[in-house]
Amino acid sequence: MLPRIAPFNRTGFARTVPELGLLLLAILVLLEGSVLPLGAASTPETNTHGEANRSGAVEGHSNHTKKAFPVLSFNYESVKLPFEISLWVLLAFLMKLGFHLVPRLSGIVPESCLLIVVGLLVGGLIRLAREEVPPVLNSKLFFYCLLPPIILDAGYFLPIRPFMENLGTILMFAVVGTLWNAFFVGGLLFAICLIPQTPVLNIGLLPCLLFGSIISAVDPVAVLAVFEEIHINELLHILVFGESLLNDAVTVVLYHLFEEFALVGSVTVLDGFLGIISFLIVALGGVLFGAIFGFLAAFTSRFTSHIRVIEPLFVFVYSYMAYLAAEMFHLSGIMALIACGAVMRPYVEANISHKSHTTIKYFLKMWSSVSETLIFIFLGVATVEGPHEWNWVFVTATVILCLVSRVIGVVGLTFVINKFRIVKLTTKDQFIIAYGGLRGAIAFSLGFLLDEHHFKMRNIFLTAIITVVFFTVFVQGMTIKPLVELLAVKKKQEAKRSINEEIHTQFLDHLLTGIEDICGHYGHHHWKDKLNRFNKKYVKGFLIVGERSKEPQLIAFYHKMEMKQAIQMVESGGGSKLASAMPSTVSMQNIQPKNQAAPLKPKERALPQLSKGREEEIRKILRTNLQRTRQRLHSYNRHTLVGDPEEEGIKDLILKKQMRIELDRKIKEMANHLTVPARTQDSPTMRRARLASGRNTDFIPAQQQKGNKNSSDPQSFTVKPSADGVPVIQVDLASPQSPDSVNLFDETGQPAQNDDQGLMMKTKSSESDKRSEKDDLRDQQKLMRCLSDPGPAAEEDEDEPFLP
Amino acid sequence: MGSRASTLLREEEIEEIKKETGFSHSQITRLYSRFTSLDKGENGTLSREDFQRIPELAINPLGDRIINAFFPEGEDQVNFKGFMRTLAHFRPIEDNEKNKNLPASEPLNSRTNKLLFAFRLYDLDRDNKISRDELLQVLEKVDVEQKMSIRFLH
Repeated sequence: MLPRIAPFNRTGFARTVPELGLLLLAILVLLEGSVLPLGAASTPETNTHGEANRSGAVEGHSNHTKKAFPVLSFNYESVKLPFEISLWVLLAFLMKLGFHLVPRLSGIVPESCLLIVVGLLVGGLIRLAREEVPPVLNSKLFFYCLLPPIILDAGYFLPIRPFMENLGTILMFAVVGTLWNAFFVGGLLFAICLIPQTPVLNIGLLPCLLFGSIISAVDPVAVLAVFEEIHINELLHILVFGESLLNDAVTVVLYHLFEEFALVGSVTVLDGFLGIISFLIVALGGVLFGAIFGFLAAFTSRFTSHIRVIEPLFVFVYSYMAYLAAEMFHLSGIMALIACGAVMRPYVEANISHKSHTTIKYFLKMWSSVSETLIFIFLGVATVEGPHEWNWVFVTATVILCLVSRVIGVVGLTFVINKFRIVKLTTKDQFIIAYGGLRGAIAFSLGFLLDEHHFKMRNIFLTAIITVVFFTVFVQGMTIKPLVELLAVKKKQEAKRSINEEIHTQFLDHLLTGIEDICGHYGHHHWKDKLNRFNKKYVKGFLIVGERSKEPQLIAFYHKMEMKQAIQMVESGGGSKLASAMPSTVSMQNIQPKNQAAPLKPKERALPQLSKGREEEIRKILRTNLQRTRQRLHSYNRHTLVGDPEEEGIKDLILKKQMRIELDRKIKEMANHLTVPARTQDSPTMRRARLASGRNTDFIPAQQQKGNKNSSDPQSFTVKPSADGVPVIQVDLASPQSPDSVNLFDETGQPAQNDDQGLMMKTKSSESDKRSEKDDLRDQQKLMRCLSDPGPAAEEDEDEPFLP
Repeated sequence: MGSRASTLLREEEIEEIKKETGFSHSQITRLYSRFTSLDKGENGTLSREDFQRIPELAINPLGDRIINAFFPEGEDQVNFKGFMRTLAHFRPIEDNEKNKNLPASEPLNSRTNKLLFAFRLYDLDRDNKISRDELLQVLEKVDVEQKMSIRFLH
């Protein structure tokens, strides 16, 4: 989910650039190593200096000290903390840059491994330079600063549909699998400790179980880092990743449970029972907190239309508060964060501007990238620091047991799960799931959190944890890619969904819901349908600003695709040639929510009412789009969009004739409008209705527009009947006032005439005076929102339209 | 209800249906009780009104078409066998069925038959072709207000 820069392919140049890069890295590492001891060394200096100054100042108040004003002084102490933090971050980034300059290396070794190695080096250097290594991976820093961005990034861009479809499987793996791992590893380790031959290991059952619970959780950071690069198919990715996210609840409960009991010394059945209840509370409470904050964020974003700059802030702050609030109650912070991101995303995205969306996306990716890099580097540093206590038996036993328990757990669970799944998990899938169970920094931090005094074996634990983490990240991380190739596991499909797919997916959803209802079975589709209806009826109106909540989503999706194409076209600097590829933009933005009250269908059919205008719209988009598709496929190099005669033939002629007839009809309507005197005492609905019907004209002849300036739609579909009946598609991507307006050529090759077509923001006539100020403002806002800078190129990651 | 079901559905019928559709015994009995609960006229067949009485189906935009799919060409009543035959299209495909010796005709829930069923839902005039208008009609009726990906454009 984190974008990676593709390694460059410079062969001749590569000999010098990596060298430079490595040199730069080496310099920076040395700098890091030297600055810190320098800092340590300079602190006593500055301290004494300060003291001397002070004492000098106190006693020499009468006789001012005759010291020259320090023109240039060195005071490291005051900037120590921020300076060091920035230095670490800088190191992290330069490492990342460096790796991608050496393409071969980043292909073989996953980034996480390289970062850990760098951390080891840095740790080693620091240790050589001075005695103590700064405790960089202290748990507070980790859990409150480094982990949240990664989880938020994962949660915000979580693909909801595959996640929900596989939720049962994911929960099984997360809950039952983790429990199994914890008890298996803990129990067997205790058994091993009991064997008299082993060197003295006086570890009780409960500490062993505690250790088991720490080491058993699959780590989302490590999974993300490794799976990111192997591009396996969506199902496996979401299974392993979802498991790593959801097992946090289990880990939290088990950890606290065993920590408490290890102090007390004994466990009763009641405690076990309480543990189960605690698990439910932790998990559900976390999700609830996240959902509450998510709704708050969505609600807040509804009002931000005037202060667009701080929109991204809401997303971040609310999510972080959800995390902290959950942590406060000892609930699962990770689940809260995921729930918050997933809940707020649909509503927030409908409300905020394009630029804010880009900002959020890039900030999240950036922060999570930094966090991940820092985590791995710190892991390396903390390894060097210790404290370590190596115990051959314990460590090797841990590693082996972890592997074995993971395999047994996955196989056993899959056997049970496959009875309930429609798409079964094959052996290959099981292998990848088992192999992808990586441990990471969360386990280490949890171990670090253990109290030294209560747990004397903390050092052994830490050593074992680090070994397991290293083993999984290095060995499994490095070999998973060739194994995926070897086993020919299905890879991720890069194809984007087209409108056709969207439509058919919806169609099938409805079909299956209907069949389920006939069978009287309240299944998956039934509840999903109910949730969607509830969402649409109550929630959306509350959380999404204004008229967008009523906008049919098919149209929204269609718009989005169009906009994307338009942006691509602009970026590639296309002109007339690509105009044929552009689908038409019907004037949908400005259709006010109107006539929603009157049900148009007989009362028995309680179908959600689509107003006539909307239906007309939809019909038109589909008709034109379906027609255009055929033409688009043929060629992009056409000056004039003449319909393929052999293909379309009669149908096309009929269509054109239809359009002609409609044109004539609308001209007549327009004429009627022009003669109607302006009446300001109209009720708003009447006014809107009239305007709406007036502006629902999708085909407005050019000559008519000169007389009737009512068509001030920013994106109205205009037709020039002067051309041989060929519809003219014209979309101006910027208002005429802005400097970067792009004048697209219409298909007849003539330059667009700005004065009477395209964006009509400046022309206001008596008709448009009828429009309330609010409408104007809203239009302008919408336009402004559209017309942001083209922004990023098409994203791949979160680009799947999801049907939850 | 239970006793009524067992007297009206004979063993050999169950066997027939099992062979034709692949449903298990318990599933057939369960679906039969659903069938009888829908059959208000108690004449052993379902009419279109019986289907339309299902509340959720009324608000399903594809409700009409689904109902039509149950009734073979020109008929107005569907008996239990027809009911099961249509529902059999929606049975999940079992892996082990692929290994069994193939019956003479493909099982009703094979991929091809599923696709055929979906095709027939689009093809209103049953000319084995989906014209553009038929496609448009489907798309209009489908509840486009349904929540899809909200990728704003503005």
